[in-house]
Amino acid sequence: MEMSQKNDLADDRLLRRMLAGDEDAFTDLYRRKHPAIYRFALHMSGNAALAEDVTQEVFMALVREPGRFDPTRGSLGAFLFGIARNHLKKRWEQERRLVPIAHDSDDLDDFVASLPSGTGSGAAPASAVDDLDSLDTIGRVRRAISTLPENYREVVVLCELEEMSYEEAAAALNCPVGTVRSRLHRARTILLEKLREPRAARRVSALGK
Amino acid sequence: MDCSQFEELFHDLDRPGTVGFAERESVLEHAELCSRCAQLLTQAESLDLALSALSAQETDERAPARVENLLREEFRKAHAGSARRRVRWQIAALATAAAMLLALGLSLRHYERVTAGNGSASHRTPSLPPSIGSRAPEANSSDVDSVATEVAAADSQSSDSDSASAFIPLPFADDSMSTDGGAIVRVVLSRPELASLGLPVTDMSDTDRIPADIIVSEDGASQAIRLVSQSALD
Repeated sequence: MEMSQKNDLADDRLLRRMLAGDEDAFTDLYRRKHPAIYRFALHMSGNAALAEDVTQEVFMALVREPGRFDPTRGSLGAFLFGIARNHLKKRWEQERRLVPIAHDSDDLDDFVASLPSGTGSGAAPASAVDDLDSLDTIGRVRRAISTLPENYREVVVLCELEEMSYEEAAAALNCPVGTVRSRLHRARTILLEKLREPRAARRVSALGK
Repeated sequence: MDCSQFEELFHDLDRPGTVGFAERESVLEHAELCSRCAQLLTQAESLDLALSALSAQETDERAPARVENLLREEFRKAHAGSARRRVRWQIAALATAAAMLLALGLSLRHYERVTAGNGSASHRTPSLPPSIGSRAPEANSSDVDSVATEVAAADSQSSDSDSASAFIPLPFADDSMSTDGGAIVRVVLSRPELASLGLPVTDMSDTDRIPADIIVSEDGASQAIRLVSQSALD
């Protein structure tokens, strides 16, 4: 939390200098903030060119309309993620084909029920996910994240990959903290299930032979 | 703690500020007793490791340098535009302030003349030679030479008199201080006419009229003006 406050203060100082016309301050701010925005856009779109465009549009908005940022409503980071999210949504409306969305609904129950093996509450896991830290598994985790429904994917990216707190993610997503928490729990449950899926399938295939 | 309570908490076990110490202990105790929940806990820990590894692997992911260059260019453009706007506003504000000061000065001067004229028991005569004072605005340029001499005389006289102010160059004058070949004409002007000459007098009504001397150059253009006390006409 202290780290986050220090970051906010540094951002605030840079933003003030930037508003006074200091180009170096803007460059510093961009270099501090853009990697997270770019990664978020990349994870959400699965498309490097689109992630680049979104990153550009986010900071273009900061240059052209810096007054839109209200520090009383959240951190600069949350504000920038919010802009990125809006741009992504606009793009998705225009180019639906670029989005590998598995499910648009916020209701996980139907989605989980459609999975091949039991998961989440009540159902026992089919097998242990015991090597999730191997390189191969990291690739599988990345792919599994990209197939999550949009609402779950964004909380995984913000809370797990960008290591935001629930409060920060809630500010960025403009939703209550409880919603972020419940979406993240559901997203993690789906991820675990997806990561078990190929093994179960392989096992069934081997038994068949 | 039962399995459903465990499932509520186990995802947050390693997340700072979410699960308290007592709850954490309960979750771990339950996992020791329940093999299914122990397995879920192991999987969740493995998922955390994989996500941390993925996050670490992507730390260096950045937008290409061209985005930064483009944004810096945009920043320069945006701030150059606002700097230009600031300069324009400053010039406009200075011009407005100057105009207001001029108007205030003129009206104060006029007020002083009027009150001085009213306070005096004896009526002052205009400081202009009679030949100039009676000249019509459409002064004939044929007697320009004699007028030039008269202008000089009038100026020297008027400087000693309180009934007329000093000549004030008109905003559009070519050379307001030069009277060579020109003439001084006495006119009586209303407030709108004074305003049209750049003298916005505020303490008189539209119907009031005030006498003034105008230096008219050889080509007939008005160059400078001075206000003359009303009493000077009497």
